[in-house]
Amino acid sequence: MIKVKDRVLKGMVYISLGVTIFLFALIFIYLIIKSIPAINNIGLGGLINLKEKWYPIGATPTFNLLPAICGTLYTSFLATIFAFIFGLSAALMLNFYLPEKFANIIFSFLDMLAGVPSVVFGFIGLSTLVPFLLKHFNLSTGQCILAASIVLGVMLLPFIISTCSESIKLVRDRYEGMSKNAGISKEYFIIHIVFTSIKRSILAGLVMALGRAIGETMAVMMVIGNSAIFPKLLGRGQTIPGITALEMGSIGINEIHLSALYVANLILLIILLILILVSQLLKGNDRI
Amino acid sequence: MKRKVLDNLIKSILIFLGLIAVGLTLFVFIYVLYRGRRVISIRFLLDNPSGIPFGTAGGVFPAIIGTLMLGGLSALIGGLLGILNGLYLSLYSKGTKSGRILLHLITILSGLPSIIFGLIAYTLLIYKLGMGKSLLCSAITISAMILPFITIRAKKIFDEKGYTFFIESESLGLSKPYIIRKLIIPNCLGELVGAVSLGMLYGMGAVAPILYTGVVMNAPIPTSVNSPFMSLPYHLYMLANSGYSDEYALGTAFVLLAMLIIIEILCHLFASFREGVGFKRIFR
Repeated sequence: MIKVKDRVLKGMVYISLGVTIFLFALIFIYLIIKSIPAINNIGLGGLINLKEKWYPIGATPTFNLLPAICGTLYTSFLATIFAFIFGLSAALMLNFYLPEKFANIIFSFLDMLAGVPSVVFGFIGLSTLVPFLLKHFNLSTGQCILAASIVLGVMLLPFIISTCSESIKLVRDRYEGMSKNAGISKEYFIIHIVFTSIKRSILAGLVMALGRAIGETMAVMMVIGNSAIFPKLLGRGQTIPGITALEMGSIGINEIHLSALYVANLILLIILLILILVSQLLKGNDRI
Repeated sequence: MKRKVLDNLIKSILIFLGLIAVGLTLFVFIYVLYRGRRVISIRFLLDNPSGIPFGTAGGVFPAIIGTLMLGGLSALIGGLLGILNGLYLSLYSKGTKSGRILLHLITILSGLPSIIFGLIAYTLLIYKLGMGKSLLCSAITISAMILPFITIRAKKIFDEKGYTFFIESESLGLSKPYIIRKLIIPNCLGELVGAVSLGMLYGMGAVAPILYTGVVMNAPIPTSVNSPFMSLPYHLYMLANSGYSDEYALGTAFVLLAMLIIIEILCHLFASFREGVGFKRIFR
């Protein structure tokens, strides 16, 4: 009897493994297969160029993905920079300047924030930030790249703070005793010892954060305005996940339009893979 | 003297920026929970949505149930597969090349944008397999999304807690599956439930994967896995984006956030009771 149960469990482990591998092989292969019609019909020059527009439903449809790619990268870079400046400061403040008990409460809050759905962020951005920008920056519409970057930046904060905190704790355990004995001030310790030793791991964390940012759909889509034009800080823009979510529902299965969306997502995936690779390389050589 | 001025300057800059960051995160909770509480009433929680435009009157009851059903179903599928994968990664393939490759693969997958799952599920399940917009279709999509997430956490739990048991029991001559069934799973149950429900929360809040695979604006409580359903995040998205009723959007956001917080607290409770620590550890 025990043997039967043992075999069942072992079988289940291998079946689940098989299902997982199959599932993800399917995702990658399907993304590539579905992209082929668009690449064959329009060509890479038609999908990525500087002249045409993203205008998939005209008499002569044009599919230029470059504005959306630029929009995605622009928003994500800006958001990561925001999150980095504020996140690193917050991590240092929580670790060095606040009493531990109080800091722990804030850390629990941040954990919870990481679980808040992106729609909620989008909604808050839409009902507070967008009217604010509209009023104070004299815009025709408050939905813009800046709004999307700020919302995305807030969403990245918990991740950045926890990554920074982990590295800071490692450095503290190792060097704080010595530096205290040497009579160094806290600030000198932060600037000269913490910063120099966590540089690489923070960079790796930032690259990972960037990877999360480029895939974010709902929150960005709600505040960016969704116009397929080249991004300007205070103008509308569009991201790859944004167009996919908005347009895939209204397209037939065999249309080139859908295939073009697949190409867009394949590009997104390639960017993501490069980012993951870079962050792994950075992490690999870390010395704390 | 100059050193001291510089030190104070650094300190104040860090605290200033840090306080803004923490303030922003608190703002998210305060905005929704404080402003949304006025909308909440028994009627809002237990009524069907109504009104023209739709959703501007009545309640959100079917959406609450729909979200919970979606979460439960995907936690069941994704959780089971995720835990089994975690077992494989931690106990069956430790140190082997295939294990390492698989771990890398799963790490990549956990970073995959949710919209890719939505896109592929839409073309594959709805068009190719002809499934129709349904709870099951959405649940499969969400399970695929949370599977790597749960796998990584389950592996970590088994690595930390299960491995010593494993070495000791294996040297007593017990078989691998027996050790897993009798020692490792019972011992890690609290944490595993925590990991699965974190994945579930992540899945319950996602909109992009379910956008075209099952969720609709108006549906009764699903009677089978083949019927379409309502979901709170989607409801919130529609209300907020169309701008019909800010008040009802706030109420929906409140319910969504409150639900997530309650589930999270329940999991902490469960985990700490399993460890016999009681209430003390719940808030660290």
